[in-house]
Parts: sequence; structure tokens; C-alpha cells
Amino acid sequence: MTRLSPRARWLAAGLALALAAALAAEHRLLERAREAHARLAAQRTAVVGVRALAEVVSRAGGQGDEVRRAVERFAAAQGELAPIRVVDFNARSLEASTAPADQGEQAAPRRLVREEKDLYDQAQRLRAAVETNRQEGVSRKDEVEIERTAGGGFRIAAPVEPAGEVTGAVIAERPPPAAPPAAGWGGALLALLAAVGLFAALAWLLGDRPAALAAAAVVLLAAAALGYAAVSLGGLAADRMAMEEAVAGRLASTARLAESVLGDASFDAAAWDADVYRRGLGFVAADGTIDAAAVTADLGRTRTRLWRAAAGVTAAALALLLFVGLGGAGRLAVTVVRHRVAYAYVLPAIVAMVVLVFFPFAYGIALSFTESTLYNESQGLWEKWIGVDNYADILSDVAVVKQAEQGSTYDYENFYWTLGFTVVWTVVNVAFGVTLGLFLALLLNRQGLALRPVYRVLLILPWAVPNYITALVWKGMFHQQFGVVNQIVQMLGLAPVAWFEHPFTSFLAIWATNGWLSFPFMMVISLGALQSIPGDLYEAAEVDGASRWQQFRSITLPSLKPALVPAVIISVIWTFNMFNIPYLTSGGEPAGATEILITGAYKIAFQKYQYGYAAAYATIIFLILLAYGTWQNRVTRATEAVG
Amino acid sequence: MSIKKTLKNLNALATLAVAAALVAPASAAAKTELVLWTSYRGAERTALEKVVQAYNAANADVRVNVLAVPHDAFADKITAAVPRGKGPDLFIYAQDRLGGWIEAGNTIEPLDFFLDDETTGRFLPTTLDAMTYQGTIYGLPLNYKVLTLIYNKAIIQEPPKTSQELVAIAKKHTDVAAGRYGLVYWYSDFYVHSGLMNAFGGGVFDGDRNPTLDRAANVRSMDLLLKWINDDKILPAEPSTALITALFNGGKAAMIFNGPWFLGEISDDVDFGLALLPKIDEAGGAPMKPWATIEGIYVSATSQHKDAAFDFIDYLTAAPQARTLALEGRQTPANRQAYDDPAVKKDPVLAAFSRQFENAVPMPNLPEMSMFWSPATTAMNLIVKGSASPSAALKEAQEKVLRDVQRLRGSGG
Repeated sequence: MTRLSPRARWLAAGLALALAAALAAEHRLLERAREAHARLAAQRTAVVGVRALAEVVSRAGGQGDEVRRAVERFAAAQGELAPIRVVDFNARSLEASTAPADQGEQAAPRRLVREEKDLYDQAQRLRAAVETNRQEGVSRKDEVEIERTAGGGFRIAAPVEPAGEVTGAVIAERPPPAAPPAAGWGGALLALLAAVGLFAALAWLLGDRPAALAAAAVVLLAAAALGYAAVSLGGLAADRMAMEEAVAGRLASTARLAESVLGDASFDAAAWDADVYRRGLGFVAADGTIDAAAVTADLGRTRTRLWRAAAGVTAAALALLLFVGLGGAGRLAVTVVRHRVAYAYVLPAIVAMVVLVFFPFAYGIALSFTESTLYNESQGLWEKWIGVDNYADILSDVAVVKQAEQGSTYDYENFYWTLGFTVVWTVVNVAFGVTLGLFLALLLNRQGLALRPVYRVLLILPWAVPNYITALVWKGMFHQQFGVVNQIVQMLGLAPVAWFEHPFTSFLAIWATNGWLSFPFMMVISLGALQSIPGDLYEAAEVDGASRWQQFRSITLPSLKPALVPAVIISVIWTFNMFNIPYLTSGGEPAGATEILITGAYKIAFQKYQYGYAAAYATIIFLILLAYGTWQNRVTRATEAVG
Repeated sequence: MSIKKTLKNLNALATLAVAAALVAPASAAAKTELVLWTSYRGAERTALEKVVQAYNAANADVRVNVLAVPHDAFADKITAAVPRGKGPDLFIYAQDRLGGWIEAGNTIEPLDFFLDDETTGRFLPTTLDAMTYQGTIYGLPLNYKVLTLIYNKAIIQEPPKTSQELVAIAKKHTDVAAGRYGLVYWYSDFYVHSGLMNAFGGGVFDGDRNPTLDRAANVRSMDLLLKWINDDKILPAEPSTALITALFNGGKAAMIFNGPWFLGEISDDVDFGLALLPKIDEAGGAPMKPWATIEGIYVSATSQHKDAAFDFIDYLTAAPQARTLALEGRQTPANRQAYDDPAVKKDPVLAAFSRQFENAVPMPNLPEMSMFWSPATTAMNLIVKGSASPSAALKEAQEKVLRDVQRLRGSGG
């Protein structure tokens, strides 16, 4: 081993580390898959019991002694369902209960007490869910609620529907299922030792040939990680069949129980094994036969998902291997140790950036590829993945001008209308801010101006007031009856204007507001730059007989450029994303005509509740600004080079 | 060693004493503190605070604190704060955001369990409908706002009862050259148009929550509006709220359709009267039924004191308190027993709005409602300007709404 070169040693270390990490991750993955299986088996058998009971209770009319007898029979036969409660919300009663607290004085039937409001609400929620799904013709609300309890068990609630109308619920708890026997570490350890050992042997055989060694390490890692995954996924099928058999057994026994309670068998037991929308899963028939094809197909999907995860883990491990094996980790470690103080100082900032900026950013991008809405918020992102549909939807709708039978009309909610409006808004505002700011700065910069500090403070004041306050104040000023603007308009003998009822006047109103806010910044920047222009330049110009305009064009403007150009760049981005003014002042009125992109995205998310679509919208805004920033950068560099 | 131990014990004792001192005043005042958010201002706020003070004085163990939150930020604050347990215990808002908050979950507490027939029986049924989402009551109604017919008594002695009378009277008082109009209202606004729409049996959702903006009844209501504009010529072009105020205050509008918020804008020179919106002969004599906005009080789903919060809103919506809010806060109460009070009965404004409210429909509280406004406004503008026929414009708007609704609901599961 002493003959191993440092490079080979790094590769060996990298291989060991990356493979260990990959195997540990895959082991965890497998364990979780098995746990999920065990949980799902317990959940499905419990759901079968609860739904069977709900059906029996429904046939008994949802209340009465028959209900209590049925609950007793079920509690005796399916001991793990405890406690079982039956609630009728019309009568506000607890119809049956096997909870220890509900005996003697508290025995059912009785009225629900205030502490049991959650039972009542749950039953009502199931009724609303059933009705909503029926009305909308979609399955979006849980008709069977399955909650995890604190200890890892379940609480399952199924609706009671005596005559096609939900009147209550069967609510039962089930303790946590027994954990599956832990998978051993032997296989993983074997894979690790075999791969590292083989690599050592190869290193010894090949000698100092870095490329070959690196390739060997990569191949060994991939083979060991994927091989382990293949072997351990093999056990999945047996687990799955065991689950189906357990469900089939439960289904058959529950059907017999229900039949003996009801005295007939006019029910579809197979439908009890269903998802939260009460749609049958279709793996097990009522007589207990298992639909092997369906199970295999479903197992295939699970397997594909796990394979993908294993492939991802392997890819990450390969990256780690190359990072360590090619010396990157070593160099990084050296740098971190050498500059440890500096890293310690920036660590809080790094953490804050990751948590507050990079994570939300990545999440937003991911969200933009989904159809997330208010209604499916609780599902995982992956289940709602729709690819680039949102982007296609936004960008492909180019019908800004709609042709009606006579004349035409604008579609104010169209992306391109909003984009165009935002561009106009930005250009007009920045141009206005720069012109007015520069003009005022020139005035203030006159030599011998009396009370200059007072003027300066007064002119900076708009900037010092928080901009949402300014926005609300100006909104009030544009109020059509009480607003000061219309009072002045009326003093001039004109009719008052309904500012926010026409796109153009609405634009004027928000432009005035934002103009009021934006000129002080430009003024301060220009004033500072003006004061740094040496006075002798002007003296020399005067001696040469230059006019004031010539002095302004040839001395003042070029001298201001280094200060003004960055200010304009910043100002463009600020104005482009100036949320407060349009949102608070015009509110997008009329009909969204004065919405800018950022307020449009906000409204899609929080008024139309389409989160995925809004995320795509926001990503497009980001891309536009990115393109603008890149272009601006290039242009500025070009001007710098010339200057 | 033993001294050290004694010192240690003393130390512990001292710590305990300090802790006890800190806890003692708190436990002495073990009051349930309820925070109530409202965007009320002026008289409404004063009246509400008066009622709350009376409640605090009568209940030693509960204290309700009223916190004013600006209206513009109100709904967003509720959406952000309440599900995370940072919001108020109680809040007051109109029904239009109710569905969205319920679908988002963990925001508004269902109240059915607390309610008995006596409590629900005290409200005008329509107001309770507005607080109901998918069969469950989520709030107790406080007051409502509804459009009615406001007329200038100097011009009109007897307000019209039917649409034919309306057109006849309006024609008599219309002189376009002189800038006089018999009828002025913001007919291009979809909310205002709801009165006509509902008279024809129109609406925006069918019984199964599907959007139906282009249903035939809606088209017929637009046809009647177009007849009023183009054939009868009783309405001014391009109506705006500013124009309506100016014309009415200048004595140039005989009749307007407007709500209680307009009363404060009427100049003192105008002697106005309130009357029911007319019956529509073209709709078989059915009355105009404008949408009503109903304000309710809700208990936060994340409140720690839901029982106490419900007890308070039960008190707040009872008849004596409704009376105070009506007479001093100038609200039209949702509590019907309040109208038995002689002072409320005598009040011509409250009486007029409560009569109109018998012919009103609560504006839908489904979250999908927020998707209607922009397409419907666009359609209304097209229709009244004559750029598109009612059926074409409504069909176009319906497609837009349907697309948004489907995007919201998704395929589901």
C-alpha cells in the first residue's frame, strides 16, 4: 500500500467516502420504502374496516341501537380499531363510542359536548367534501380523512350516507403498525469492502496511471451502488404481495362480518379498499382474489420511482467521488483551514443567503413547473408536475387586441399587454425622474443660492417617507370626490375626473405618484456629482467663449455620466419591480389595465389562487430582468472603454 | 461544603421567589384576552368600541381588544397571519373572501356546532346564506349593503314601481341637450348590473358551482340594458361614479341606483328619497335583485380561545348590540329583531335598505368569484359601447373564466 501515489490515495478515499454515503442513502431509501409499505398495509386494512362499518351504519340509518350493535360487533372482531366513534351531525349526537371515557354517564347516545367539536366538524367536512366533489365532477377533497396520530398510528374518518346524503361519520383510530424487521447492513458493507478492495488491487496492478484509476473508481462506484440497489429492490415484490394478501384477507373477513351484521350481502366489498376519494384501488376483488396484473403494474411504478432515486443518489455520489478523488476536496479543505477566520465571518451570511434567497428561489422555479393552486396545496410538488405548460400558456397567448363584431378591444389580462405597460411605465418614470432630478440639482447647485440647505431638505423629503404611505396618500388625493386633485380641477371650472376608471388617467395618477417618489434620488445623485466637477473647467470654458448650453453639453453631462449611468440602471430595475405604487394606488384599475408584471403575478397568486402559474409568471419577470442586466452590463462596459 | 450548599439553596429559593413574583400578577389577572381586527373607521368604529367596552365591563374574565387594521391590507394580513397562529382571535370582513379562506384551510373556524335555532333565527336568512360555504356556517353576519333606488324628490313625486313606469318617468325627465337624465347609474359595472341580471334569473354560478356567465338570462338582462341606452335613451354615455355624483348633486339626475355608501356624497341641497328598485316587466314582473355585500364576524381557526370568541360574537350580534351598531354606527343590521326597535323602525334610511334587502341575493362567496371581475368588466364595456353583442361578449368572458376556474381546480387528485 505504501506504493500508492497520493493521487490514488485521494481516489481511494473519495471512492470509500462516496460509496459509503451512497449505500447509506440507498439503505435509508429502502428502509423508508418498506416502512411505507407496512404503513400502507395497515392503513388499507383499517380503511376497509372503517368503510365497511360506515356502510353498515349507513344502512342502519346512521343512528339508533342497530348502529351501536354494529359498532360493538366490529370492535370485537377488529380489535385494533379503537376507539370507534359514530357521529351524527344533524342530531349533534354521539351515536356510538367504544372509547373508555364514554361509558356509564357518558355512554352513547348522547349530545356532543363542546370538547367534541372537532368530531362534529370532521363529519361536516366530509359532507362538504362529498358534495363538492359530486358538484364539480372532480376528486379534489378527501372523502375519507386519514390522519397520522402523534404516536404514528392513524385516525380514519369515513362519511355515513344513509340515503345518498351524508349525515355523520365513523371515526376510528388504529395504533401504529409493527415496524418491519430492520434491513441488515451486511449487504451494504459487503459492497463497500468489495469495491474498495478491488480498487486497491487495481491501483496496485495499474501503478500510477491517473486516468485509468479514475475511470476504475467511477466504474466501481456505479457498479457497487446500482448493484446494491438492484439486489435490495428485489425484496419489494414479496413485501407487496404480502400487503395485498393482508388486504385480501381483511376484505374477506370484513365482508363476512358485515354480512352477518346486516343479514344480507348486497354490498360491494371490493369498493372498501379505496383511496381518500373513495375510488376503488382495484387490486383485490371482493372474494379475495388478487389482480396480479394491476399489482405488478403498480409495483412497476414504485420500482421505477425508487430506481430513479437510486440513480440520483449514484449520480450525486459520482460527483462527490470526483470532487474528492481529483483533489478538489483537498484544496477546499486547505483553503478553508488557511482562511478559517474569513470563512467564520461570512458563514452567517452564507447560511442566511441559502435559507432566505437560494432556497426560495429554487422553490419558486420548481413551483413554476407545477399546477399548484389553492385547492391542491397539500400535495407534493411532484404529483402536480406539468412541465413547461405554464410558460407555454403565458407566452403563447398573443391576442392582446381582441376583435369584436364591431371595433376591437384590449385584453388587459394578457401577458403582453402587461409587459408593454410595464415597459412604458419604466421608461416614462425613469426619464421623468432623471430629467426632473437633474433639473432641480442644477438649480440647487447655483452659487450663492440663499437657503439652499432648506430647499435640499424639502426636496429630499418625498424620498424619506415610506413609499407605501406615499402611495396611499396619493390614492386619497386622486379620490374623485374628496381628493385634492379633483378639487383643483373643479376650481379650474372643469368636470371632476374619475381617475381610476380609464387606463390612461389611471396611468397618469400612478405616474404622478411614482414621479414624486423617484426624483429626489436622481437629484441627490446628480447634486453630488455636480459638486465634484472642478470649477476651473467652467472658467476655462467661459474664457474660450462657450455658451451656457455648450458648457452643459460638453462639461456637465460628461462629468455626470459615471454617477448617472449606475443610478439609471438601478432605477430601471426598481421601477420595473415597483410593487407598492401600482398595487396600492390604482390597484390595477380599470380591469387590470394598469397592472405591471409584478403586481399581475401577485394577483394571479393571491386573488386567482394559481400558485404554479404565478410562479411561472415571476420566473419570466426574472428572466427579463436578467436579460436586461446582462445587456446593460455590456453596454456600460462599452461606454467605460470608450470613455 | 455545607455553607456552599446552603448558599446554593438560598440561591434557588431566591430564584423561585422572583419567578413567583413574576407569575403572581399574571395569574391574578388570568383574563382571556381576545383580539378583534377590524377596518372600521369613524362612527362604525366608535359604535363597535362602545359595544365592546360594555362587554368587557360585564365580563370580568374576558377582555376584547379592538385593533384597527387598514382596509387595503386587511385581507392579505389575515391570509398570511391567521394560518400561522399569529393573527387575531376574531375579525370582521365581507363575505367575498370567505370561500378562499376556507379552501386555504386553517383560517376560519366553522361555527355550526355552536349554533342553535335561536341564534340562527335572529338573522335575516339571506345574511346567513352569505356566511355559509358548502352547507357550513363560518361566521355571524353583522350588516349588509345593497343597492336601491335613490330619487330626487324635487323632480319626482312618485317613484316608479315597474320598469315600464321607470322608462316612462325617465324619458319625461331626460333632456340630453341640457345634460339632464331620467336615470343615471354605473350600468357598465358588473356588480351594479347584478340587479337586472338577477331579475331575469341570471347569475354567475349554477347549482353545482360551475361558472355560467353566458347563460341566456344574463344575455336577456344585457338586451334590456341596451334598450334603455339605445332605444329609450334615458342613460348618459360613459357613466362613472364621479359623473353620477355630479349629475345627482346638480339636480340633473332624477333617479339613480346606488348603495348606502353614496348617501354621504349627496349634497345638502338635494332632497332625496329611497325606494325599492322596480319590477322588471320584461322579466315577467320579477323584481330587480341586486347583489348584497354582507359583513360578518369570524373566529380564527388558530385562536386559543374559540369558546370565549364565540360567546363574544354571540353577544355582538344580539339585538341590543345590533341596534347600537345600526343607530350609532349607521349600519343596516343583519339581526332582524333589531328592526322591531322603534328608533330603527322610524329611521327612513334603514327601513328603505332593509325593504330592498328582501329582494337581494348575496354575492357568491366562492373563491372562483375573484376570477369573474376582470373578464366581466371587459365584457360589460364591450356591450355598452356596442362593440360586441351581449351573447358574443359574455361567451368570450365565460371562456376566460372557465379557463381560470379549471386551472384552479385542476384535474384533482
